Amino acid sequence: MDKEFVRNESGNEEQEQPKEDKPSALMEKIQQLGQTNVPQLSQDSKIHCLTIIGQIEGHLQLPPQNKTTKYEHIIPQLVAIEQNPKIEGLLVILNTVGGDVEAGLAISEMLSSLSKPTVSIVLGGGHSIGVPIAVSCDYSFIAETATMTIHPIRLTGLVIGVPQTFEYLDKMQDRVIRFVTKHSNISEETFKDLMFAKGNLTRDIGTNVIGIDAVNSGLIDDVGGIGQALKKLNELIELKSEENERLVQ
Amino acid sequence: MILYTTMPQELIFQTEELEYEKQKVIEYEGVPLLVEMNENHDFRILRIMSSDPSHYMDDRFCPGMILSNRLYS
Repeated sequence: MDKEFVRNESGNEEQEQPKEDKPSALMEKIQQLGQTNVPQLSQDSKIHCLTIIGQIEGHLQLPPQNKTTKYEHIIPQLVAIEQNPKIEGLLVILNTVGGDVEAGLAISEMLSSLSKPTVSIVLGGGHSIGVPIAVSCDYSFIAETATMTIHPIRLTGLVIGVPQTFEYLDKMQDRVIRFVTKHSNISEETFKDLMFAKGNLTRDIGTNVIGIDAVNSGLIDDVGGIGQALKKLNELIELKSEENERLVQ
Repeated sequence: MILYTTMPQELIFQTEELEYEKQKVIEYEGVPLLVEMNENHDFRILRIMSSDPSHYMDDRFCPGMILSNRLYS
């Protein structure tokens, strides 16, 4: 509709020169407010994509210059994905430095309990609390150059009772270890070895696993990129629909 | 100046409340967008928060674009 309008306008150029400015400015306004009938994209895609980037934000809101993943954004999206019958699969793309343990575990639990097929790819980095999120999906990929830092849980902030805080941290760490070992092929022993390894990170304990190392230790299922991940996701979707058909019969 | 502390940086150098108010998530034609208000009270798109990949291909809202807010203010 608005294309025709433009054509008419340029046709009448000689006659209505002074008027020309006004409608175009008005039209710009209309377009920017989204009130013209723009062609709708043909179909809803059956695979949705969730990007977990930057820091995983917990109870404390980070300053706006930080790139963050907020759980109050992610969790309603996951609920919507679970509820929408048109969506058949979910691709999770990770490039995160980690962040809040509770928020990270919340996202991981939501992803692992999603009834639809999920595939994750670690691109760049999936550090600290990004590890449980990566393993929470049905199948996980890591790019060849991507890295994952596995390290013990730490705390920044006010510590009132040291022994109690220590015990609390230990319990929190167990939650992470239990989740990761339950959702991936890594054994508790190997994971703890990586977590408390000395000499890999300068003056700190932990390990930085790169691409194939993560696959060899059983943490991640395969090395690959977007192509392999989507192929796997389509396979999982097909498997799921076959299973459903069998149930109906 | 070197600060030796276990406190997180954002607790020591706190950001002004105003900084937080600049950014917000709006729903524009059914697509959630993270926007920042600029000096002219227009919204500049920072991020598309949708999980639908087709929303990222829509040229009506690309990151960096300015959505005019003039009619409302």
